[in-house]
Amino acid sequence: MPLARLVAVLFFLCCTTVARADAVDDALAKFFDDKFPRTEQAINELAATGAANAPAILDALGDNRLLIDQADHIIVYKTTGDDLINAKTGEKLDGVDAGAFKKVRINNALRSAIEAAMGALTLANPDPQKRAGAAEAVFETRDASALKALEAQLSHESDPHVAELLRQARAAIVVLDSKTPTADRVAAVATLKARGDQDSQSLIDQVANQSDDPAVKAAALDAKAAIKAHLAWLSVLQNLIYGISAASVLLLAAIGLAITFGVMGVINMAHGEMVMLGAYTTFVVQSALPPSLLQWSLAVALPLAFLVSAIVGVAIERLVIRFLYGRPLETLLATWGVSLILQQAVRSLFGANNRQVSAPNFMSGSFDWAGLQITTGRLWIVALAILVFVALQLALRATPFGLRMRAVTQNRRMAAAMGISTGRIDMLAFALGSGVAGVAGVALSQIDNVSPNLGQGYIIDSFMVVVLGGVGNLWGTLLGATVLGVANKLLEPVIGAVLGKILLLVFIILFIQKRPRGLFALKGRAVEA
Amino acid sequence: MSVTRRFVLRAAGALVGGAVALSAFAAHAEDTIKVGILHSLSGTMAISETTLKDVMLMLIDEQNKKGGLLGKKLEPVVVDPASNWPLFAEKARELISKDKVAVVFGCWTSVSRKSVLPVFKELDNILFYPVQYEGEESERNVFYTGAAPNQQAIPAVDYLMSADGGSVKRWVLEGTDYVYPRTTNKILEAYLKSKGVAPEDIMINYTPFGFSDWQTEVTKIKAFGSAGKKTAVVSTINGDANVPFYKELGNQGIKATDIPVVAFSVGEEELAGLDAKPLVGHLAAWNYFQTIDTPENKAEIEKWRAFTKNPKRTFNDPMEAHYIGFNMWVKAVEKAGTTDPDKVIDAMIGVAVPNLTGGIATMMPNHHITKPVYIGEIQSNGLINTVWQTPGTVVAQEWSPYLEGSRDLISDWRHPMNCGNFNVKTGKCGG
Amino acid sequence: MMPLPRLDRLGVAFLIITIGAAALAPILALVVPHDSAFAMPPYVVALLGKYMCYAILAVALDLVWGYCGILSLGHSAFFALGGYAMGMYLMRQIGARGVYANPVLPDFMVFLNWKELPVAWWGFHSFAYASLMVMLVPGLLAFAFGWFAFRSRVTGVYLSIITQAMTYALKLAFFRNDFGFGGNNGLTDFKDILGFNVQSDATRAALFSLSALALALSYLISRAIVVSKYGKAVIAIRDAESRVRFLGYRVENYKLFIFVVSAVMAGVAGALYVPQVGIINPSEFDPGNSIEAVIWVAVGGRGTLVGAALGAVAVNFAKTYFTGVFPEYWLYALGGLFVLVTLFLPKGLIGLLNLRRPARPTPPTPTPTPSLAQQEEGAR
Repeated sequence: MPLARLVAVLFFLCCTTVARADAVDDALAKFFDDKFPRTEQAINELAATGAANAPAILDALGDNRLLIDQADHIIVYKTTGDDLINAKTGEKLDGVDAGAFKKVRINNALRSAIEAAMGALTLANPDPQKRAGAAEAVFETRDASALKALEAQLSHESDPHVAELLRQARAAIVVLDSKTPTADRVAAVATLKARGDQDSQSLIDQVANQSDDPAVKAAALDAKAAIKAHLAWLSVLQNLIYGISAASVLLLAAIGLAITFGVMGVINMAHGEMVMLGAYTTFVVQSALPPSLLQWSLAVALPLAFLVSAIVGVAIERLVIRFLYGRPLETLLATWGVSLILQQAVRSLFGANNRQVSAPNFMSGSFDWAGLQITTGRLWIVALAILVFVALQLALRATPFGLRMRAVTQNRRMAAAMGISTGRIDMLAFALGSGVAGVAGVALSQIDNVSPNLGQGYIIDSFMVVVLGGVGNLWGTLLGATVLGVANKLLEPVIGAVLGKILLLVFIILFIQKRPRGLFALKGRAVEA
Repeated sequence: MSVTRRFVLRAAGALVGGAVALSAFAAHAEDTIKVGILHSLSGTMAISETTLKDVMLMLIDEQNKKGGLLGKKLEPVVVDPASNWPLFAEKARELISKDKVAVVFGCWTSVSRKSVLPVFKELDNILFYPVQYEGEESERNVFYTGAAPNQQAIPAVDYLMSADGGSVKRWVLEGTDYVYPRTTNKILEAYLKSKGVAPEDIMINYTPFGFSDWQTEVTKIKAFGSAGKKTAVVSTINGDANVPFYKELGNQGIKATDIPVVAFSVGEEELAGLDAKPLVGHLAAWNYFQTIDTPENKAEIEKWRAFTKNPKRTFNDPMEAHYIGFNMWVKAVEKAGTTDPDKVIDAMIGVAVPNLTGGIATMMPNHHITKPVYIGEIQSNGLINTVWQTPGTVVAQEWSPYLEGSRDLISDWRHPMNCGNFNVKTGKCGG
Repeated sequence: MMPLPRLDRLGVAFLIITIGAAALAPILALVVPHDSAFAMPPYVVALLGKYMCYAILAVALDLVWGYCGILSLGHSAFFALGGYAMGMYLMRQIGARGVYANPVLPDFMVFLNWKELPVAWWGFHSFAYASLMVMLVPGLLAFAFGWFAFRSRVTGVYLSIITQAMTYALKLAFFRNDFGFGGNNGLTDFKDILGFNVQSDATRAALFSLSALALALSYLISRAIVVSKYGKAVIAIRDAESRVRFLGYRVENYKLFIFVVSAVMAGVAGALYVPQVGIINPSEFDPGNSIEAVIWVAVGGRGTLVGAALGAVAVNFAKTYFTGVFPEYWLYALGGLFVLVTLFLPKGLIGLLNLRRPARPTPPTPTPTPSLAQQEEGAR
C-alpha cells in the first residue's frame, strides 16, 4: 500500500509539474480581470491543476487575502501571519507594501465554488479534521467529480469518523445517480438514514420522488418515515434545550431581583439598569484589555461587573431607598427615576449606539450532540446561571450573613429585636442583588445588544419570574424561570413568539389568582405584606 | 364650605396668570432661518436617530460657513421626541408654531411619520423623511429621501434570483411585526409569485420588537432551507433585534454560502456592535455604502469624522439621505428666493443634487427621489463590499403595482394634478 | 342627580380653575385677536388639552391608589382602550376620504389586503356606540380582572405586577397586525369628529373645554365617593384591609367598584386624548406609561385628587419644557424630579401648600402603608 501511494503521489507530482507551467499560469492570469465569472473559471481551473499551492491560494481568496497588482501583473497572497507570498513562484516577498495591491473581489457564488474546489483538493489532507471538513463539503455540494477522489480516500482511510463522513458523502452522490447498481443505492439510502439529519431527509425525499427503481424507492420511503419520526423527536428535545437556555437567561436576570424584592419588599425598577451596567463593564474590560488577553475578558469582567453594579446598588440604597423604608411601593417611583438617570448617563458616556462585545473563541459557535444543536455560548450561560444559583443558595444557607438575611426576610421586627442590624442587612442584600444583576449583564452582553435600553427589555420578564416563583425562596425563582422559559420555547414553534408570550402573561395572571403569593410562598403570620 | 371671596378671586387670578404664562411660551422669530431637527435622542429609537441629529448639525454648520442661505444664517432647533409617538406630534407642532422653523428634518419609524403627518398638513410646513419605508404614501408636505420598496427590496430579490446571487428558489421573508415589514413582504410575496415561485417555497414569519431569543426561529429557517432548493432569507428585522439575530446565525453556523440573508436595515453602523467573521457573505441592500469609492464620499466621511472628533465614526444610508435632502432644500430655497414652505414645495420638484456615491438624485413629482441601489456583502472587517448595483438610478414607486389597493394610484404634485393619490381608473384624485 | 359633595377650599379652587379654563379657553383661542398678549395659540390649546386628559387619568389612578391602596400599573391599558374605541370611531368617519377611497375599510386594512371589516369594528361608525364602548370596554376589563384578583385576595406588589402583566399582554396583542387594529402604526390621520374637522381651531378649543369639564366631573365623582360613608370604608381598606374584612365588610366588592369606576374614567380620558393628539397606537399600553401616571400622582400628592391632577399637569409641562430646552439632558431632570419628590415631598406638591397653613387639619394621609399596618396586625 505505501508503495502504491508513493507511486501515485510521484505520478501526480510529475504530471502536475508538467501541466503547471501553463495551466496554473493561465488560471492565475484570470484573477487579474477581477470579474466574477472570470474568477470562477480561475478557481475551477486552479483546482483542476491540483497544484500544491492551490489550496493556499483558494483559501486566501475566500478570506479576501488574495491580492493583485494589475499594472505589474503580480499576484500574491497574504498568509494569516501577514507574510506576502508570490502565488506563481511561492516566494516570500519582503519589503513590499501590501497597500499597493488590490484585493480580488468575491461573492457568495464564488465562495461556494471555492468550498467545492477545496473539498476535492483537501480530501487527501493529512489532517483528519481537514479531511472531515472536505467530506462534509462534498456532501453538501454533491459534486460528482469528487467521487473518484472520495473513493480513493475511502479505500485507505484510517480514521473511523472521517471514513463515516466519506461514506455519507459518497452515498449523497450515488443515491441520485440512476446508473449506480440498485444494491449500492439501497446501501446509500441506509447510510443516509443512519445519518438522519435534515440534509439526508431532503436527499431521501428527492430519491423517493424521482427514483424509478422500485427497490430503491421502497428503501427511500422507509427511510423517509424513520428520519421523520427521528427528527420530530429531536425537534421536541431541541426546543426543550432552547427552553432551558431561555430559562437560564431569565433566572440570571431575575435572581438578583428576587433577593432585593424578597428581603426588603423593594420594587427596584432600576434592576434592569444594573444588568445594563454589567454589560457595559464587559465592554469596558474588553476595550481595556490587550487583544492577547481577550480570551480572559469575561473572566475578568465577571467580578468587576459584580463590583460595579454592587457599588452603584449600595449608592442607590444609601442615598434613596434607605429613606423610603415603610413605604415600599414608593421605592418603585424613586427607582424608576434612578433608572431614567442611569440610562441617560450611560447614553451620555458611551453614546446611544450598540457597543461591540465579542465572544472569546471557546464561547462561540455550536456543536452537534446526538443530532441536537447546542450553542456553546448558551451552554456557558446555563452553567453560569447554575453556578450563581448554587453560590447564592450557599451564601443564604451557610453563612451568618445569609442567616440574618433570611431572618429579616421572614420577620423584620423580630430580627431587629434579636439584635440584627436590619439597615446593614438591607444594604448588603441590595448590594448582593445588584451585583448578581451585574453578573447577568456579562452573560447578556453575549447574546443581546449592549445598548442603554438593554435592561428595559428584561425588567418585566424578571418581575414575572419573581412573582410566579414567590418571594423569599430562591427555589421558587428557579422554578419560575424554568417554567416560563421552557413553556415559552415550546409554545413558540406552535403559535409564534408573540402569541406565546401573551398566553404566558395570561397564565401568570390566572395563576396568581390561584396562588396569590406565588409558587413558593413564605408561611407565617408576619409576612402578609 | 369655608371659602372666602378673596380665595375665589385668588384662584381666578391663578387661572389668568397661568394662561398668560403659557401664552408667553410662544417665542418670537429672529433674523435667522430656523431648521427643525426632530429625532429621538432618548428611548428605544435613540440608537438610530441620534446620529441623524448630529449629521444635520454638521450640514447646517457647513452651510453657515459657506455664508448661510439667502444672506441669513441657519439656526438648528433640536428637540427630543423621546421615541414617544404622540410626543412627536407635539414637538412637530412646537417646532412649527412656536419656533417658526422653515423646514423640519426628522422621524425614523413609520409610526412617528404618521403621527406628525396631520401636523405638517395643518400647519403647512415641510418634512424631510430620510429612512427607507413601506411606501403607500405621498404627501404634499413630505419629501421622502429614503427608499421605497422598489428601490431596495425588489432589486435585492432580483439579485438573489440571478445566477450571480446564487439562483435562489426558496424564500424566507423574516420580519418584525409592524407595517414596514408587513407591506414589504406583501409586495415581495406578490412579486415572487409573479416570477413563478410556488407558494410552498415562501415562508413568512414575524417576531415582536426587540426580540432577542432567536434560537427557535433560526432553527426553523435552517429546516426550511434544507429542502434541497437554494434558499435565501429576506430580513426586514427592525434595528434592535438584528444583533441577536445575527449572533444566533453565527452560532448555529448558517453560512452565507448555504442560506444567504439579505437585510434592508443593516449597515456598517449596526454591524459595529457585532463580530463580523461568522457573517461574511451575508448581504445588505441599500442605496449607500460607506465603502463605495468616490471622492465625494471620502470627503464627506472625512468631514463627518472631523466634526464628531471620532476617526472611526461610520456614515450610513439615512445619513446620506439627509445629506441629499438638505442640499435639495437649500437649492430649492435659492430657486424660490424664499423659505416660505408653499413656494419651496413647488420649487423642490426637479431639483437635482449629486449623490455621495456617484450619480444624481432628482426630486420627482411624487416627492420621492431617484436612487441607485447597491447590494453588498459583509466582509470579515465588518464593512460592506458592493457586489452588484443597478445600472442607473431607480425611480420610486410609492404606490406599489404589486398591491391590489394601490395598483391604480399615482401621485404628481405638479400643477395641475397636485394629487398624492390619483386613481387612473376612476380619473379622480383621492383613491 | 347626585348631590354636590362636600368640598374643601382646594376643591373649590380646583373647580373654579377647571371650569373657568373650560369657559375661557375658547374665548382666548378664538375671539381674542391672535397678536394680543392674551391670545392662546392653537399650539397651546392642543397641549393643554392633552394635559387635561392626563389629569383625568391621574385623578382616576389616585382614586384607586390614594384611597383604596390598589397600586395599579395597568391604568394605561384602560386609557388606551378608551382611546382605541374613540380612534376606531374616528377611523370610520374618514370613510371614502382615505388614500384608497375605500368607503368601509380603513387604509391600513386596504393595503394589507383585508377584504372585509373585522367584527370588532362593527358599529363604530356610530358615535353613540363608540362612546358606549369607550366606557364599557375598560369597565368590563376592569370588572373581569378585579373580580378574579380581589376575590383571590391578590394584594400589594403582586397586584401591581399582574396589572402590569395585563397591560403588557394587551400591548403585545395590539402590536400584532393580525389583531386588526393597525399594529404598530395604530390609528391615525383622523379627519373629523361629529362632522367637525378635528384640526380646526374651534374643534380644538371645544375638545379642550370638554376635557377640562370632564376633569372637573371626574373630580366631583371621585370626591363624592371618597367623602361618602362608602368612601370611609374604602379608606379603611387601604389602611388595614384584614381588619375591615374581619369587621364584616365585603372588601372585594368595595375594591371592585372603585377599580371599575376608575377604569371607566381612564377610558374617557383616553377617548378625549386621541382626537387631540391625532394618533393612538400600542405604545400607549406601555407599562412605563402606567408607572409615569403613578408618578404624576405621587408628585402632586397621593390621596388628594387635586394633587393628582396638579402633578399630571406639572410633570407633563416639565417634560414639554425640558425636551425642548435640554433635549440631551432632560431625562436627568425628570429622573431627578421623581427621586427628589419621593424623598423630600412624601405628600407631593399639595403637601407644600399645606405646609404654609399648618393650622388647617391635614387631608387624609397616605401612610401608613398596608404592609406596615398589616405587619402590626400580624404581630398582635
